[in-house]
Order: sequence, then C-alpha cells, then structure tokens
Amino acid sequence: MNAFQLALKNISGNAFRNGVVSLCALLLAAFTLFTTVVMRGAETSLRLTIDRLGADIVVVPEGSEAKIESALLMGIPARFWMPEDNLGKLAAIEGVDVASPQLYLATLTGASCCSVSDMFMIAYDPSSDFTIQPWLEEELGNGLRLGEVVGGSFISATEGDQNIKVYGYLVTLKENLEPTGTGLDQTMFLTFDTAYDIAGKSSTQAESVLEIPPDSISAAMIKVRPGSDPHTVAVEIVQKVPGVTPIESANLFQSYRKQMTGLLKTILVILSVTWGLSVVLIGLVFSMAANERRKELGVLRALGATRRFVFQSLLAEASLLAFFGGITGLAVAGLAIFLFRNLIMYSLDIPFLLPSPASLLIQIGAGLLLALISVNLAAFLPAYKISRQDPAIAMRE
Amino acid sequence: MNKTMGILMIVLALVIAIVPIFTDCLANGRSLTTADGRSVPMKCHWTALAEIGLAVPLALVGVFNLTSKRKETFRTLNLIGLALGALIVAFPTVLIGVCANKSMPCNMVELPTLILSGILVMGASLIALYSSRNIIEPAAA
Repeated sequence: MNAFQLALKNISGNAFRNGVVSLCALLLAAFTLFTTVVMRGAETSLRLTIDRLGADIVVVPEGSEAKIESALLMGIPARFWMPEDNLGKLAAIEGVDVASPQLYLATLTGASCCSVSDMFMIAYDPSSDFTIQPWLEEELGNGLRLGEVVGGSFISATEGDQNIKVYGYLVTLKENLEPTGTGLDQTMFLTFDTAYDIAGKSSTQAESVLEIPPDSISAAMIKVRPGSDPHTVAVEIVQKVPGVTPIESANLFQSYRKQMTGLLKTILVILSVTWGLSVVLIGLVFSMAANERRKELGVLRALGATRRFVFQSLLAEASLLAFFGGITGLAVAGLAIFLFRNLIMYSLDIPFLLPSPASLLIQIGAGLLLALISVNLAAFLPAYKISRQDPAIAMRE
Repeated sequence: MNKTMGILMIVLALVIAIVPIFTDCLANGRSLTTADGRSVPMKCHWTALAEIGLAVPLALVGVFNLTSKRKETFRTLNLIGLALGALIVAFPTVLIGVCANKSMPCNMVELPTLILSGILVMGASLIALYSSRNIIEPAAA
C-alpha cells in the first residue's frame, strides 16, 4: 500500500474532520473564483464597450459626463441636448478626422404604445457614423433602412417574429450585437431617419410624443486623424467649443473604475481574512486528528513505515481533501456566477461579461491551487511533528 | 452520507418553496393588464406555485432519507429525488417558463435559484444513491 492509498483509506474514516477541511477548501476556492471572475469580467466589459464605441473622443454637453457613463454602462436612458452647429465647430478643429452626431432617446415607461419600457435608444447618422455602420455593412451587406433597427444582445422581438413597438411604431429588429455585459446590451440602435419618423408619427400613434428638439444632437463621436494626439485635440475642443465636455476614450468610465477599485479592495480584505481563518482552522483540525491518531501512526512506524512515508500520507490526505472540497467549491461558484450574472451586475452596479473558456480555466486552476497550497500549509506542521515522534512512546501514551 | 443529503434536500425544498414566491414579478408589483383592465399574474408566478408542488415531495424524500435503513428504500427515494430535481429545473425553463424580458426580477433571482437548486437536488440524490450501495441491511426479525 502506498502513501496515496493509505490517505484514501483514512479519508473514508472521519466524516467531521473531512467535512471541516473540505468546507474550508470549498470556501477558499469558491471565493477566489468569484472574485477573479467578477473583477476580470467587469474590466473586460469596460474594454469591450470602449472598443464598441470606436471613438477616440466622445463630446457631450457640459455636466452630462455621469449620465453618458450610466447610459452606456447600465442602460439607464440619458436625455441631454446640445446645438447641432457644434458639429461643424468640432469638424473644423485640427486633428479631427470625423465628427459623427448621435441622438439619445428612450421608450416610455409602462405605456402600451411601447412594448419595452424605458429602453435606451441611440440614433446615429449613417453618412458619418464610424461606430456601428461598418459593422452593419459587414454583417448585413448594407446599412439600416427606414424602420429597421439593430439591438444589443438582450433586445428581442416582442411583436411577432421581428418587430418591436416603439411609440406605437413597429420597427424591425434586423440583428443583435455581440454581448458586452453593459447597458449597450439593452440598447437599440436606429438611424436618424427612423428616429425622426417615429417622432413625427408619435403625436398620433403614441400615448406621449417622442420629442427631439430641432437642430439639436445629444453627443458627437470624434475620430482623430492618424498621428494626432487625442489629448491635444480634446484640449482644443475645450478652448474652441463652449458648453461641451470632451471625454477621451481612455478616461471613459472613470467613476466606475474608482468604484471597482474600492470594491476590489473590500473583497481582497474579506478574502485575506477568510484565508487566514481557514488556514488556522485546518491547522487546528489536523493537530487534533494527528493527536488522536498518535497510536495508530506509532503502530505504522513500528511495522516498518518510514517517517517520510507517514509524513507523505498525511499530506496526501490533506491534498485529497483540498482537491475534493476545491473542485466542489469551484463547480458551485462557477454555476452560481453563470446563473446569477444579471443579479451580480445590478446589485453591485458594475458591468459584467463572462470570461472566455481559456481565461475561466486559468482562474479555476488558480482557485484550486490556492485551496491546495492553503490546506497543505496548514497541515504541514502537525504532519511534520507526528511523523518525527518515537513509535515506542507514541504507542505507550 | 445519506443523512447529510437528507438534510440538504429538506433545506433545498424550503428554498424551492419559499424563494420563488417572494421573487416573482407579482411579488415585485408587476403584472399584466388585460384589455378589460383586470390585472393578472405573469407566468413566473404560476411557475412559483408549481414549484411548491415539487418542494413538498422533495421535503418528504429528505425526511425519509433521514429515517430509512433499507438499501431498496434509499434507491427508490433517490431515484424520485433525481426526477424531482429534473422537474424543478424543467418548470421554469421548459414546461411553464418565466417572463421573456431578461431584466425582470424573476429572471434575475427566481430562475437562477430554481436551476441551481434543481441541479443541487440531482447531485444530492446521485451522491445518496451512490453511497447507499454500501449500506448493510438490518437483519430480519
């Protein structure tokens, strides 16, 4: 019988000790996986949203910075306007390659003329847009026609197979975008023509009129010329266009990044405390178990087992318990994260996207490694002490 | 092991019976308004009620796992547990369903709770079924 087989036999003998050690390993692995998946998921989500926007600078009316972040990240409809002639001023600034306008609209809440309540809608200008139009041309072969829309991954047809009712107007859902884990997943994209058509007909078809102030836009997406510095262009915008705030893509979602850093610090403190307590508890349980089994291990030594064999069998026992507990914890945590991802997103108020299978495997490996190291660390001292004792004394006690 | 799994099944039966009733859309003040102005619950509410019908036999399976001694009884009980676990998952996903909008409260709490509980019930039944193979039958009187 080798050390591993002996450990396996010993495990089936003590339900309480096994339960406590496995539970500690389970908690450690589950908590580690939860922390890494949620934090990395939020970071990936932010990066994807910035990539999806595709703009080097987003220009919004002064004081609307927080609103646009909430709209893009959490899908909370934003309503703000600035004069359309700002677009000409922006395009004239040196270093600006393209300036494309957008209108931010929303469906009504609890009205029968809108099949989805309080949905964020972004209207874009197909002639200048560089954020969604290239993707549409690649996917559909052309842009959107009048009455056609594309939706985030959460947008689905509510009237028949393809239609959604917006202000009493039936729009056709042509395609869904890839998920980003942010508010963009709950956002509908349409052209200026469709937006103005809906607004025009809403006075007769809807419970409330969709108001788009004349000669106004909500935001402008700026693409800078190759070789130009976005920061220099942003400074120029502040100087030359009054009443607007340019947000460089690198500075987007700063308030959410700060919130995430705060959350990460709290989680790391909780993880450290859980880790410390678990190691102490496992150490105590193993010390008790080693003392209980003093005679048994003495007999084993008297029968010819070396110190090394006893030590190895005790550590193998700890590793097996950590492995089974860790695997169970990782499976439950993984399943819980997958099933409760929307609740996590809303309750922590952060964007979240599930990691890729390769990244998830790495994180699962890290969780399991932490559980294995922690349990072996806690069991090392009791296992070392018991393996060094004299068999004759151990059997006599 | 069967006793531990029995206790787990009773706890899960309580979760399955109680959580959906407090997390469906009706409990969050949302219902459908018909053409004649009446307010009717959405299908997540009917799923929550159906789950109570599954939680009761599941609790009994848990109790009998605590009190039984015969191998055959454990085998039958945990096969029933396995079927109940599958039904707990099937009601909110296939048989009745929940609301279509993914941001509704039932989609965020009720649905994942029921799926997770159903999977745990199936896992507990399988573990109890596996561990019951070593049970030594009491001698006949």
